[in-house]
Amino acid sequence: MTQTISKSGLSDLRSKDEIRAERRKGRTGIYLVAPGLLVLALFFALPVVVLLAMSLYVKPPGAEIGEFVPGFEIGNYMTVLSAYWPELLRSFWFALIATVLALLIGFPMAYLVAVRLREKPLLQGILLVLLIAPFFSSFILRTQAWKQILADEGFIAQALKFVAILPADGHLTATPFAVVAGLTYNFLPFMVLPIYANLGRLDTRLLEAAGDLYASPMNSFFRITLPMSAPGIFAGTLLTFIPAAGDYVNSALLGNNRNTTMIGQVIDSRFFKVIDYPGAAALSFVLMVSILVLVTIYIRRFGTKELM
Amino acid sequence: MTRQRAINNQRRRLLQGIEQAQASRRSVLAGAAGLALAGLLSACGTKGTSSGNAAALAPATDLSDSEAVVNWANWTLYLDYDEKAKNYPTLQRFMKESGLKAKYAEDIDSNDSYYGKVQAQLAAGQDIGQDLMVFSDWMTERIIRQGYAQELDHNNIPNIKNLLPALQEVRFDPGRKKSLTWQSGYTGLVWNKEAFPKGLRNVEDLWDPELKGRIFMLDEMRDTMPMLMLDDGVDIAGSWGQVEFGRSLEVLDRNIRNGQIRQVKGNAYKQDLISGDAIAGLAYSGDITQLNFEEGGKWEFALPESGGLLWSDNFQVPMGSPHKKNAERLMDFYYQPDVAAEVAAYVNYLCPVLGAQEEMEKFDPELVEDPLIFPTEEFLSNTSSERELSVEEETDFQNQFQEVIGV
Amino acid sequence: MNANLAPTLPETRTSGADLELRGITKRFAEFVAVKDLDLLVPSGTFFALLGPSGCGKSTTLRMIAGLEAPSEGSISIGGEDVTSLPSHKRPVNTVFQSYALFPHMSVLENVAFGLKRKKDPEAMAKAQAGLEMVELAHLANRKPAQLSGGQQQRVALARALVNRPQVLLLDEPLGALDMKLRRQMQLELKTIQTEVGLTFIHVTHDQEEAMTMADTVAVMNEGRIEQMGPPRELYELPRTAFVANFLGKSNLMRGEVTGKRAGLLEVDVAGHSVLLPEDRAVQTSGQVVVGVRPEKITIDRTSSGAAHNELSGTVIDVSFTGTTTEYLVDVPGIGRIGTFSQNRGQQPAAVGDTVYLYWEADYSFGLAGDERMDAGVEQ
Repeated sequence: MTQTISKSGLSDLRSKDEIRAERRKGRTGIYLVAPGLLVLALFFALPVVVLLAMSLYVKPPGAEIGEFVPGFEIGNYMTVLSAYWPELLRSFWFALIATVLALLIGFPMAYLVAVRLREKPLLQGILLVLLIAPFFSSFILRTQAWKQILADEGFIAQALKFVAILPADGHLTATPFAVVAGLTYNFLPFMVLPIYANLGRLDTRLLEAAGDLYASPMNSFFRITLPMSAPGIFAGTLLTFIPAAGDYVNSALLGNNRNTTMIGQVIDSRFFKVIDYPGAAALSFVLMVSILVLVTIYIRRFGTKELM
Repeated sequence: MTRQRAINNQRRRLLQGIEQAQASRRSVLAGAAGLALAGLLSACGTKGTSSGNAAALAPATDLSDSEAVVNWANWTLYLDYDEKAKNYPTLQRFMKESGLKAKYAEDIDSNDSYYGKVQAQLAAGQDIGQDLMVFSDWMTERIIRQGYAQELDHNNIPNIKNLLPALQEVRFDPGRKKSLTWQSGYTGLVWNKEAFPKGLRNVEDLWDPELKGRIFMLDEMRDTMPMLMLDDGVDIAGSWGQVEFGRSLEVLDRNIRNGQIRQVKGNAYKQDLISGDAIAGLAYSGDITQLNFEEGGKWEFALPESGGLLWSDNFQVPMGSPHKKNAERLMDFYYQPDVAAEVAAYVNYLCPVLGAQEEMEKFDPELVEDPLIFPTEEFLSNTSSERELSVEEETDFQNQFQEVIGV
Repeated sequence: MNANLAPTLPETRTSGADLELRGITKRFAEFVAVKDLDLLVPSGTFFALLGPSGCGKSTTLRMIAGLEAPSEGSISIGGEDVTSLPSHKRPVNTVFQSYALFPHMSVLENVAFGLKRKKDPEAMAKAQAGLEMVELAHLANRKPAQLSGGQQQRVALARALVNRPQVLLLDEPLGALDMKLRRQMQLELKTIQTEVGLTFIHVTHDQEEAMTMADTVAVMNEGRIEQMGPPRELYELPRTAFVANFLGKSNLMRGEVTGKRAGLLEVDVAGHSVLLPEDRAVQTSGQVVVGVRPEKITIDRTSSGAAHNELSGTVIDVSFTGTTTEYLVDVPGIGRIGTFSQNRGQQPAAVGDTVYLYWEADYSFGLAGDERMDAGVEQ
């Protein structure tokens, strides 16, 4: 009995020391994350608060252009949402198609480089550079290049017209097709790289084991390779979808003025053309929250297990 | 000289895409920054948001005598540039002659985006880091109305006497006290002579079925709408209102809906002309002169018979600038005919300086008789400018226009 | 864990199939991993491929599994040529050295994987039974990463076994386990094999493991099979220096055949006369190598008085291990001879003592005279 008491007393003493050490460790941790938190507060939290405040501003009677006063005008949201919900939906729709296409195109590319060429480091290196190369040129220049590629007088449009897939007076640019193609192309590296990084770690012995257990190559792919690369696919789809949904360069350069307008373009024009700061802020906020909600649903549905 | 021009033009073509790219990027960043800043300032309850009277701003103390610098924000590709020396020859000369250090920034891509970028600071009377900014007439008008521009001292700009008579009195700035023309230009019609030999005489000729899906309009409301109204027979300088505006807007809407108009574009329309996606549309005179020089004279620019637009881009000194006198010395320098001619030979826009035409002989004799650079009476008589819009109209018309063009 | 084995696997007595390799050669660029290999493994055998790393045993196994294609030769299982069949179509399963368990699947899903690919309607039930066999049924829903090395090894075994392959391949499956677990698993594997009667091909570099478990051991060296047979035969009568050294330890001495009498060869080894049964010699004349296993030698302070098969030398090292005392004796003209004596309470010889080493002629074995004496000695 006495022994037990003294034992617990000892453990209490020790745990005090431990607590102190823990505290010290905890404080070090705080010092370490402080700069990050500060940057985050300064460049994310504060702008978001400002954005939210701005979105509720009101225009006083007789105001000059660009003059708004602090207020609590929830109606700003109603106004922009009722006017621009089609553009918002379209943005998510286009981003979704682009993401799926990027996955379908990007996965085989990543697979080829990361798995098939594992034994050939030189070729692997060259192809990897080619995959990343688009990153080295300006986003907008790349989009311009797409415009040239898809131009009426360009090879692709001419060829499609020749085989009568495209009507003689049809065109590829200034169409939803061009916008989605541009989005797909521009965000492809964001899809390929995470999948590549993931597949680079794929233990091919598992594929041998699957083959040994009667799985055909196709079967091995769907049962082993694909599920094992889920974290890469997950990261890739998020990294593609989020910027694609907010993008306006592709729709501005490759779209028309009817059925390709995306929400980023609307925000741009509310801000710069109409000088409607609250409207632009409200739309930005809606876009941010919508993406947050969609991503949360996505993570809940597919993410947690694989992200461990 | 022609050779020099060719080099310049080559550089221009090379840089066109890049600069546009940068400009667009900039405008995105500027937008974000502007929005955040505008919000911050407003939240702090600075002048910018005090309703109604913004004219209470006072000019910054002029430090020109102690600080020998002048900062100038201008549009991209709007000043003569020497590819080899990687500098602006006339600006070099200005620095040498004046002893001032001039910092030149190709910051402006469109009136709207630059206004959006600096508006919050202008409203607060703060220094935007530029002593000279260049805006188009209608934005110049807005800046003056909002009290964001300092009054100029003409004693420091003796060469203002060379200003073209037509520009000495402008509606928005009687006596040119708060602005001075940098370059002028026309908005008119352009078409590809090979693809569309018939040519265009009026804006309505753009609705020719042969051109379906191959024409573009400009995304500047202040260009496209007046052009359409002129076509409709409206006196744009006179009294017109929602009815006339609405009628032209309907024309625009119909032709976008039925696919006649392929796209409503900003500066990128030049790429569409080059690629052949577009074969006709509305355009700025200087652009087409440049394009023809670079791409082999395929395009024709003309003012519609119903009239074209004459517009100017103007120097202004922001209220917060502490170098007004230095800025005035720079404006004065560029109003010397030989300097103006050198600039005109590069930028190909309409030169607002008297005597420059004679000086042009030295730079590029071909250009002396170009009515797009040195306008003839006949040309000028076929142009007009839009009347002033009220604050409410500005917002309202812009809103309607944006809705029709889909953004 | 093995007592209840039979009831959980009702079809245990179905035996595996013969495996036959004919003229198998495998080349990788410049390197020849396997050279013209012929091998017949009768059905139901526990067969061990034993050799040092790089000897070609794993490559041979991978060719049987269909993970590598032979450069030449053919492979048949149960009389059917499978040389051109891809791995997933061969009636063969492998227990990999790395286990290669699928990390994203539960233990049960891992075990059911092969059955499901074969569209076995009772896949889950059989997988569950397989887990019971290896006593891991309670961990069926864990992920492999949550299991210990030994448990993972058993899962890998169950995953292969539940498919009832005609041939089960084991690629150093015990290599990653600690000694104690290893011994335990060796026994279990052997018992399972006896129970299910499948053909097991077990690749290992551990000679003790091979001898404990296998019915037949093939010793591989440099892409060839040096010698093949039951473990005891291989041990008692090695035919090459490599086998003599790699499979247990041997004392090898170089000598010259000087005569023959009554089925015995008389060999002169550095002036000593060594007798050797003629039928235990690879070569019966000229230069030969005579070998004798350490445990066959008696070490004594006094001479046995025999005229043959006795050497004398100086003890240079003694190590006491409890049950035995091991000696290293330097014999002039021959070199070092190792031996040991059972601990029966006698006073062991000490370093520096002069001792006599003798053995019965029947224990000698003879190898070709051109053998490298240190072939197969583990460093």
